[in-house]
Amino acid sequence: MADRSESDRLAKETWLQRTIRRPEIGAFIVMIVIIVALAFASDGKAFNALGLKNNIKIIAQYGIIAIGAAMLMIAGEFDLSIGSMIGFAGMSMALMLKWGLPFGMGEATPFTAFLVTLVMTLALGWIIGTIVVRSGLSSFIVTLAFLFFLRGTTEVAFRLINQSTQVSGLPDFKEESWFANILGGEVFGWFYSAWFWIGQKMTAGVEFPTRLTNENINYLATLNINRRLEQWVTGFDARFLWFIVIAAIAYFVLSRTQLGNWIFATGDNKEAARANGVPVNAVKVGCFMFTAFCATMFAACQVFDTNTSDAAKGNLMELFAIAIAVVGGTLMTGGFGSILGVVFGAITVGLVANAVFFIPEIDGAWFRVFLGAILLAAVFANERIRKRITGGI
Amino acid sequence: MADPYLRVENLVKRFGPFTALGGVDLEVFPGEVHALLGDNGAGKSTLIKTLAGVHQPSEGQIFIQGKPVNFRSPRDASAAGIGTVYQDLALNQLMSVTRNFFMGRELKGPLGTLRIDEMDQIAHDEMLKIGIDFSDPSQAVGTMSGGQRQTLAIARAIYFGAKVLILDEPTSALGQKQQMGVLKTIKRVRARGDIAIIFITHNEIHSRLVADRFTFLALGKIIGAGTSSEIGDNEMRRLMSGGAEMGDLEQELAGI
Repeated sequence: MADRSESDRLAKETWLQRTIRRPEIGAFIVMIVIIVALAFASDGKAFNALGLKNNIKIIAQYGIIAIGAAMLMIAGEFDLSIGSMIGFAGMSMALMLKWGLPFGMGEATPFTAFLVTLVMTLALGWIIGTIVVRSGLSSFIVTLAFLFFLRGTTEVAFRLINQSTQVSGLPDFKEESWFANILGGEVFGWFYSAWFWIGQKMTAGVEFPTRLTNENINYLATLNINRRLEQWVTGFDARFLWFIVIAAIAYFVLSRTQLGNWIFATGDNKEAARANGVPVNAVKVGCFMFTAFCATMFAACQVFDTNTSDAAKGNLMELFAIAIAVVGGTLMTGGFGSILGVVFGAITVGLVANAVFFIPEIDGAWFRVFLGAILLAAVFANERIRKRITGGI
Repeated sequence: MADPYLRVENLVKRFGPFTALGGVDLEVFPGEVHALLGDNGAGKSTLIKTLAGVHQPSEGQIFIQGKPVNFRSPRDASAAGIGTVYQDLALNQLMSVTRNFFMGRELKGPLGTLRIDEMDQIAHDEMLKIGIDFSDPSQAVGTMSGGQRQTLAIARAIYFGAKVLILDEPTSALGQKQQMGVLKTIKRVRARGDIAIIFITHNEIHSRLVADRFTFLALGKIIGAGTSSEIGDNEMRRLMSGGAEMGDLEQELAGI
């Protein structure tokens, strides 16, 4: 009796039990179900050479902002201005590229347009964060104000400078600027080259009719070969790379660094964190600046990919970002979350958003029905996880 | 007799027109438990928050090893060796034992990375020293019992160099058995001999069990102080009830 201690009452878990109880597990299972279902329903088209590229494009877009939103939610705050920030950053870059840098600093290059925009958006992130931590107001209401403020500013700036709420027909900067190319060009060309190489090996010696049947075309598409028997897709969109980079950095920071510990501590109980010397306010402001950074990367990839921008870009994206963060297991109350889960969430939501292109029979609005349903399910699941950890019943 | 590690002279703290502390003197010696007793609103919390650097004194002076000090922030106080374990323990429930132990003072490698294995080991060893063998430092604090949390917070304060350990009602929200566990922990810390403990409590029995010295506060002033041999049980009860005689109180109650 005497050698029994309280810690003995906590059963040791096996590796499998631990895995099942991980916070990402729900998002992971849903993701696997969606991948399998989509592969069957689209007859494999969703994951042929072009399908994969298009799916990853939207997954990466969602993922970039969802990771920013998740980091901020873990630190205990919300940002509803992400979508407007995307619009603002896109407007800023496009107008500079078309009309030159502000204050007569001359012609803009893709690099200077990006840099000046990033300085502005980071400053806005700093201002939003500082208002929230200094005033003690809810970030919900402060960032809601910036949602309107930035969207309005974006539209006004377009009309004043450009006389129209969109910029189109910019030169294709990624042709000559390496900087525009790493944001809007293609990456991982080796992947599609290897895919094509394998495809060639597999079709070597196969005689195709001169007029390809639909079956032939679908088969060749899964081997990255086009109708003229050449390589079909040459690479992923560059945002895939940025998604990986941002996710990797966020994962590393959260799980392995002092800053990560500070972010968790700030979101969990900020008074406890402060009493232990964690610079709570700086952590929060930093996280607001990180979401602004993510929004800017989102906009930069879009602008340099399409060479256009308009005042409605990024509309509603803040809500998708928050929804994906929650689907990925991030707690609304802060202090808990997983980047891996957010990545699974982004893949799930991205695939469903795109599903209509591969399964034309279904109505695209089902996407929002689905998102609402899994969001609600995720909130309940997360609440269970929180209660389990905090020992509540 | 050794010199006091911490000495407070004529400490006054006003919040606007309200005088929370009206001239308090206090001496705390290493290897001793100093019980600070008093009713709600007696000024106990203000006193420890001033010692912990949360509030700045309006008048009076704090001395550490005979040298006058001014704490402008909790960081200053903890650098001077004052470790405060608040009632809410300043723990984060969703985070692991180790992450809580090193919260704000993580061991860093290159690029601000955490030396997590080393931190796990230290957290485990430090808690073992004062009585809890914790097999899994990656366990969330939310799953621990109140007594275990108290031990974690105390071990943390000691590891980070507390020479004066301020315990703010450490037994108040616990069950009987866990209260005894915390008192044992206090005794173990006292046995080290180099740490002075300020033990704030409502509970006269608990303070009797572990304290060497007593100070009684009422309405922001000291109404009685002494070593455990100097203060008898009746005197103690009288001081606990804010200086009213028990007999008077009985009469008052009987008159209703």
